[in-house]
Amino acid sequence: MKMKKVLSLLLISCLLLGIIAGCSPAKESGGTESEAPKAGEKDDMMSIIRMTQDWPTYIDPAVGSSFSCTISLINLYDPLVFPQTDGTVAPHIAKDWTVSDDGLKYTFEIRDDIKFHTGNLMKASDVAFSMNRMLDIGEGYAYLYKGVVKEAIALDDTTVEMILEKPFGPFIDTLVRFMVLEEDVVMANLDKSVSTYGEYGDYGKQWLLTHDAGSGPYFAKDVKLEEYVLGEWFPDHFLGWEEDAPKYFKISAATEPVSVRTAMANRELEITDEIQPLENYNTMAKFDGVDIIAYESGTNMNLCLNTKKAPTDDVHFRKAIAHALDYDVVQNNIYPDSVRPRGPVPRIVPGSNLDMPIYDFNLDKAREELSKSKYADNPEMWAIDMSWCAEVPEQEKIALLLQANLAEIGIDMEITKNPFGAMIADAQTIETTPHASLVNVAPSYFEAGSMIKTRYHSSSTGSWEQMEWVQDPELDAMIDDALATTDRDERFKKYNEIQLYINDLCPTVWVFEWVEKRACQTGYVDWQPYLLLQKGEKFVYPMGYSLYVRNMKVYPDKRAEFSQAK
Amino acid sequence: MINENQAMPQRIVIERDKYEKYKKAWYKFSLNKMSVVGLIIVMAVLVLGVFQPVIAPFPHHAGKFVNYNDASLAPNSTYLLGTDIFGRDILSRILFAFRGALTMGIGVLLIVVPIGGVLGLIAGYWRGKPISIFIMRITDIFLALPPLILALCVGAILRPTLFNSMVAICVSWWPWYTRLVYGMVTTLRNELYVKSAELLGASKAHILFKEILPNCLGPIFTKMTLDMGWVILTGASLSFVGLGEQPPTPALGTMVSDGAKFLPAQWWIAIFPAISIMLIVLGFNLTGDGIKDMFSSEE
Amino acid sequence: MIINLIRKIGIYFLVLIGLSILVFTIGRVIPGDPARQALGPRAPEQVVQALKEEMHLDKPYYIQYGIWLKGALRFDLGKSLMTRRPVIQDIREFLPATLEIVGISALLMALGGIILGVLATKYEGTWLDGIIRMFSYLGVASPAFVWAIIFMLIFGYALPLLPTTGRIGFATTAPPHATGMYTLDYLLNGDIQGFKEAFSHLLLPAIALMLGGMSQAARITRSSMTDNSVKDYILAEQAYGVTERKILLKYLLRPSIIPTISILSLDIAALFGNAFLVEQIFNYPGLSRYGMQAMLNKDLNAISAVVMILGIVFILVNILIDIIVAYVDPRVRLMGGDSQ
Repeated sequence: MKMKKVLSLLLISCLLLGIIAGCSPAKESGGTESEAPKAGEKDDMMSIIRMTQDWPTYIDPAVGSSFSCTISLINLYDPLVFPQTDGTVAPHIAKDWTVSDDGLKYTFEIRDDIKFHTGNLMKASDVAFSMNRMLDIGEGYAYLYKGVVKEAIALDDTTVEMILEKPFGPFIDTLVRFMVLEEDVVMANLDKSVSTYGEYGDYGKQWLLTHDAGSGPYFAKDVKLEEYVLGEWFPDHFLGWEEDAPKYFKISAATEPVSVRTAMANRELEITDEIQPLENYNTMAKFDGVDIIAYESGTNMNLCLNTKKAPTDDVHFRKAIAHALDYDVVQNNIYPDSVRPRGPVPRIVPGSNLDMPIYDFNLDKAREELSKSKYADNPEMWAIDMSWCAEVPEQEKIALLLQANLAEIGIDMEITKNPFGAMIADAQTIETTPHASLVNVAPSYFEAGSMIKTRYHSSSTGSWEQMEWVQDPELDAMIDDALATTDRDERFKKYNEIQLYINDLCPTVWVFEWVEKRACQTGYVDWQPYLLLQKGEKFVYPMGYSLYVRNMKVYPDKRAEFSQAK
Repeated sequence: MINENQAMPQRIVIERDKYEKYKKAWYKFSLNKMSVVGLIIVMAVLVLGVFQPVIAPFPHHAGKFVNYNDASLAPNSTYLLGTDIFGRDILSRILFAFRGALTMGIGVLLIVVPIGGVLGLIAGYWRGKPISIFIMRITDIFLALPPLILALCVGAILRPTLFNSMVAICVSWWPWYTRLVYGMVTTLRNELYVKSAELLGASKAHILFKEILPNCLGPIFTKMTLDMGWVILTGASLSFVGLGEQPPTPALGTMVSDGAKFLPAQWWIAIFPAISIMLIVLGFNLTGDGIKDMFSSEE
Repeated sequence: MIINLIRKIGIYFLVLIGLSILVFTIGRVIPGDPARQALGPRAPEQVVQALKEEMHLDKPYYIQYGIWLKGALRFDLGKSLMTRRPVIQDIREFLPATLEIVGISALLMALGGIILGVLATKYEGTWLDGIIRMFSYLGVASPAFVWAIIFMLIFGYALPLLPTTGRIGFATTAPPHATGMYTLDYLLNGDIQGFKEAFSHLLLPAIALMLGGMSQAARITRSSMTDNSVKDYILAEQAYGVTERKILLKYLLRPSIIPTISILSLDIAALFGNAFLVEQIFNYPGLSRYGMQAMLNKDLNAISAVVMILGIVFILVNILIDIIVAYVDPRVRLMGGDSQ
């Protein structure tokens, strides 16, 4: 009888399987390759750099702008200019460029030897197409170019002209975020069944979720949404290859501390993400051959206060909050190695005002500010809600610290743990944006203007990069004026004034300047930040560029020598 | 000659112990030693939860408090179960979390049992009529989903608070009582005493609540006791995912999920809350078994 | 009996419709502009308008429901906000993963529970019985995620025998997509190494999931078998001289299994629910984890789709259990009704 029972169970399993197999016709689920290698073929795959980074990751240059997106983008595509470790930019796709006298016309001469992953040569028309596509779609880094670039025109096969609406000083700096796609490939993969972009259908967004149309050192071999991006090296990349450069890179979404730690111990992961809890870094530092590498990245941790929602709409109330946070505890216990911030622009970003007054931890001053606010006589109004990003567990420590600190001066703060996707959704209207939100912001290009405009210009309200809703016409005018100034020194002088203005407005509590920490298998991987730190050299990387895999080296033989760490 | 006193037999009055009924119940309950153990656990949880401010060594750690100097300490003489990454005493927080758990269990059952029960009574008594079919179909729809999922769904849509997670669990829990009572009522409505009540012209309310309901109480109470454990478990699952009480209020599920990140090095942060959950559910399960014995028919 | 089954399927179908209405209503209750959310705050207004019209957000609710239903029948369930692609594709990828785990879990649960129950009955009163009973108490009382945590602790650190994250190792690539279940796909591809690896990744989550249900199945099997073992017909069999073993397995087991199987259907349902938590801990990319992310990110289309799919799968499982019960319980077959 038991036999029959087992048999019937087996039969049912086969039934279920049959149903499922029938429902899913064999279709490619991602990746440009038609055949994935078998699990046994691992030899070449050992020359790989594996990283973890939190999702979502959009590898479409016109859509992605978060940390994980930028890492994929700089490896799969090539930008027009490439940032150097001293903060300047150097020619990359663009060989040379000239600016017209009125600052409105930029003419770029591009290289004629750049091949796309399909083998075709890059033409100026591809560059123009990519810029126009970015402007039309309006997502990701488009905010850098919207209102700035009117259009891009290809004059011949190697010359591109970009016409600006008004002069924009740091325009060249912004082009590190401009990636070039192959026009023919995108046009061949449009989804014409939708008409979001008129005759362009969906502009290829669907296809570009899991494929690339780029020329970068790696091509997207396999993309499994919510899981990983696997890139394989592109031998014909125009810059050539050095020995021992990694042949593969993989970015996984598995940022849970336990899996990261286990993977590092088993040498299944080369570089971790930067949002691990402190305790995890300490544990991993003890592993043989693993080092924790920390460097300033020009990112600061902001507590964005909603300036259009009571009670944080009152400047004195906000200043009270700024005086109520115990910054020393943050720097000593929560984020050791972090730097005390001075206003909106981190100190290593060119253009930062180094002479700014700071809000120190002083409960008496806090109470004084409270009494000056218009809610001084209504203590029942002293209640605010705050969100922190669920993917960064360390933020909870700051949230609870602030809650305890604020309780001492009578402000009641309610905390919500929000996944980043939900924070992005909340940021879209004034009513749904919380009174306070904890967010890390990095400059899109390495100049103070980037931080200032992204964070405080009214054009960025509604996005996660500005949850303050500042919308101050005077400030907007100052920022626009500064950005239009083509002379660098002039521009920086204007930046200083703007930073003082913002500091006084106190729309944000600047918690600390972040020192980005990652664990790396330095025993068998050569990674620039580690090497430069060893030499004592200073360096800066715009977000994502520190993980340019082409510049790394990996030694699979050495990896085999390392046993599993405890 | 007949003596008047002798002709009528004396009425013999047997002195009944006022508490005989309860003693009998207790005897049946305590037949199974494990049930008594369960009861002890449940009582302990109740007492600890209610008297937490007095018993706990650091009751304010369950509120707005951080102390990063004492963070992540292993169990020692000051902090009996260690501290978490914010420097808060885990023992005090677990005791405080009992409150939330018990509130959730009692609150949910207080809502779900009357509503589900009444619906089941109606559906069972008027079986075959449209109202009954309607009620049971709705019940089927709600039961078509695995219970946790509906609760997660509703909980995710509402803002995460204790009250909302209770609402989420209520939404997915009531059908079970409807079904339970429905099953019992359909059998009982054909009993002789029900038929005679109907014949005598008793009102429907009387029949439902005075005749049928008292005979259903046994399984209902058993299920309620068992459910206390399950509701607390579901609540812990919800808060594990983040849909319950928000920090700094401690919740058992949240403590487990927070602590899971720090296994195995700082194991105490996750393991002690996890064991507490197990103990609570175990306690209610064992007690439920005893209650079932208590209501079992006299042999 | 067939008629009864068809009647039941009809009821289930109605239940599905009701479920879809419930799910749809919940989905539309959340505030916010789905079109704006999908495209981001800096997208040009006319693009948002175009998407709104495409998503039919400007029409009244019942028309929206009708359109959604029509789409659902064609397997078009809208786009996910998180992955930016049609939900049906996400489901195609993640559902088999969860089915793999739940399938193995259900199998282990049923077999394990029944075997343990039989053993406990055979050795009733001995220490083995005591151990099994104690274990089943604990098993029922512990939520799946507690077991998951304990396993993480043991296998992630102390005894690294089994992998604790993902479906395959960091270094491996997935097999070509045939059924979506890695174990089967590797087999179909002739890749034994891959199959072993995928299977080993399945074990811990599956075992963590099934322990609760297995304990309950063991308990019920045991109690129902001991209840039946004092019945007259068993006594008659013993008098006839039938061997102990045959009595146990042939005459005792079959009627005692019925309540177990009924409970099993509930427990398998619970597996789907608990899979949410276990997949989270083991970082296993299945439908439950996807649904969890969808709920936390308020991704309406994904939530509706996941809930509907789970409802459908659960109903299918119920139908299967009904068939099994009918097969095993002659009363059902002969009377053409429920065995209650």
